[in-house]
Amino acid sequence: MIVLNSSDGATFEVEESVAVQSQTIKHMIEDNCADTSIPLPNVNGVTLARVLEYIKKHAEAKDDEEGLKSFDAEFVKVDQASLFEIILAANYLDIKGLLDLTCQTVADQIKDLTVEEVRAIFNIMNDFTPEEEAKLRNDHAWAFE
Amino acid sequence: MDISTAGGLLFLLNEDLLTRIYSFLSGDSSDKKSFRATCKTFYRVDSLQRTHLRILRPEFLPQLLSKFPCLNSLDFSGCPRIDDGALAVLLRNGSVPFWATKLRRAVLSRSCGLGYYGLDILVKSCPVLEIIDVSYCCTFGDLEASAISCAANLRDLRLDKCLGVTDVGLAKIAVGCGRLEKLSLKWCLEITDIGIDLLSKKCSNLKQLDVSYLKVTNEALRSISRISKLEVLAMMRCGMVDDVGLRYLGKGCPLLQVLDISRCDKLSSTSIVSVIKGHNGLIELHASYCFFELHLTPYCLSLELKNIKTLTLDGARIAHSSFQLISTSCKFLVEIGLGKCKGVTDNGILQLVSGCINLKMLNLTCCGDITDMAITGIAESCQNLVCLKLECCNLLTEKSLYSLGSFSYLLEELDLTDCSGVTDLGLGYLSRCSKLVCLKLGLCTNISDKGISYIASCCTKTCELDLYRCSGVGDDALASLSVGCKKLKKLNLSYCNKITDRGMKFLGHIEVLSDLEIRGLLNITSEGLTAVAAGCKRLAELDIKHCENIDDSGFWALAHYSRNLRQQINLSNCAIRDVGLCMVMGNLTRLQDAKLVNLINVTVNGFELALRACCVRLKKVKLLTSLRFHLSQEIVEMLAARGCRVRWD
Repeated sequence: MIVLNSSDGATFEVEESVAVQSQTIKHMIEDNCADTSIPLPNVNGVTLARVLEYIKKHAEAKDDEEGLKSFDAEFVKVDQASLFEIILAANYLDIKGLLDLTCQTVADQIKDLTVEEVRAIFNIMNDFTPEEEAKLRNDHAWAFE
Repeated sequence: MDISTAGGLLFLLNEDLLTRIYSFLSGDSSDKKSFRATCKTFYRVDSLQRTHLRILRPEFLPQLLSKFPCLNSLDFSGCPRIDDGALAVLLRNGSVPFWATKLRRAVLSRSCGLGYYGLDILVKSCPVLEIIDVSYCCTFGDLEASAISCAANLRDLRLDKCLGVTDVGLAKIAVGCGRLEKLSLKWCLEITDIGIDLLSKKCSNLKQLDVSYLKVTNEALRSISRISKLEVLAMMRCGMVDDVGLRYLGKGCPLLQVLDISRCDKLSSTSIVSVIKGHNGLIELHASYCFFELHLTPYCLSLELKNIKTLTLDGARIAHSSFQLISTSCKFLVEIGLGKCKGVTDNGILQLVSGCINLKMLNLTCCGDITDMAITGIAESCQNLVCLKLECCNLLTEKSLYSLGSFSYLLEELDLTDCSGVTDLGLGYLSRCSKLVCLKLGLCTNISDKGISYIASCCTKTCELDLYRCSGVGDDALASLSVGCKKLKKLNLSYCNKITDRGMKFLGHIEVLSDLEIRGLLNITSEGLTAVAAGCKRLAELDIKHCENIDDSGFWALAHYSRNLRQQINLSNCAIRDVGLCMVMGNLTRLQDAKLVNLINVTVNGFELALRACCVRLKKVKLLTSLRFHLSQEIVEMLAARGCRVRWD
């Protein structure tokens, strides 16, 4: 069993065979840095719990394609803040499947939206100057698709 | 972490992660466009990662190209008129530009202004060009083919409808482009057996070949059968090929997976046998409208067709024994097309679905003999049913829809056009199929607002709804749709005469509506059109032919609000006047196709002005023939020079 420490001090136990889905953890184990516990200063407790849920499910139900698909679909039904936290965690822990799933989810959220809607959903400020915006609008109307 | 920080959460993600998200955006250009215009960080990600560009105007190309370092695919088919000169300017400014050295894919379909000179410059400047699409450049001939043949790395070439290409041109391409893997010669009517023979000898890597509509004979098939890596062969309407030719094919092309022999009328059903034997890798077989009768004997099917997933047998008479054979041999069958087939009975269908339980798509268009029993059998056996086409199956009643509603939870597409047995009660049962995306109820005169309200309340994923000539449908149906079907993109309400402006106002609440057909609605006026134009901001295609009570104020609203109207508009037989037409054609800057027949209130002058206003970007326009003699020579020439096709009705 491997022990993981989140940034806010929570500890989690997980089987080594499950934990090695994270390339980062896998390398740490191989480099013998995992004697007592592995510190993960970039991931908080709540997010780490979620990530572990994902890798546990994917380890135990490896061949059940349909089951995993529906699990994944439910897994990403979280609020935006949590979704981005999971993306960052999956990136740091180098878990390709989770990273692809979450990034695809964000991409799907952008699907079919107009510019204003994208900004609204992700709370993004428009930092173009009016001239730049006009040029962009022109480009999109006249120059290319 | 403070969620409300200006700039938002997205900037917690570094550019690598944003790039990864960008890579998952669908190929559809509008998503990437919105992404790009959101903020500077996204703009930079898009600029750095973008590989494909669809140009609308070649003049902008040089400055655009400097912004996108990863660009390797260009699509010029949206440009009004790209010609040799334009390509020369792009590619010959001193030395070859950097982007040209990386260009992999060039789409130039319908670029009729292009010729040998331009193609030559393109091919010589872009050494890594792998994909060229010059389909529908009808004037292209052997000279242009010889220019293309210099692209030594070419893998994918489309020459559909390049009418001037003969065996000589094909020979040059075969010799010059030895790495060719995909080739389409559809409609290149001058090509004969000789060209195909040379092609088969020189291009041994060919995987996909389309020789549809060519006047080739059995000899060509003898040559094609020698192409050992061929996987996909399309030979629709090759009217001179008969069973002998298919026998050659049966002995060759061991890797064949997809075969389309639709409309080859000299073939008999025994020819299928010769192809199937020895080709147990066959996955798709399209044999629509080939044979009069389909006779499949037991020995030919047992081993060979077991991997087949798609079978299209439209138009043939099918014996009951054939259903039995397909059901026992083709366990992996996913799609079957039996449109307009004779001999399709309840027993046949029940036999079929008892064995082929993996069926996802069934086309039973015009199989008029089938009853509720067949549909119940399909629903109970085929749990994965996704698409069912039942146009003109008049014996069906609510019982069928009850079965579908009870068992077919994955059903997405259902075509019940002209099925007189469809009633409100039936729609109520059907609404249990909550994953329905596309529903066609054209000519179903027995349904009313109540039936539509059942669908609207439960089938929230509906994107496409066809209610053509459903005379019982009125404003209340639109009210329920506007509340329940928020994802509705395509709607056809033509000739549903009960609809008035009140209904139109409800339509204005469906924001994603992009394709609307409302022909012949005599009770709607400008008020209604204004409501739709103002509310449906994504409207791209509009057909209001014969809506004779809409006057100019409606069209002014259209011109003002529907800036996105991009694909086409059909205003034929409307009460629009000169000013209205001018405003519409002038202001809808993205319009590409317009049908303007029988506009009795528009004068010749009105047409002149309107056409002048939009000739720069219009690609297709339909006008009354008599107008041809009244329009000035200047405007007709201008339209032609800009690459606009005029259809005279």
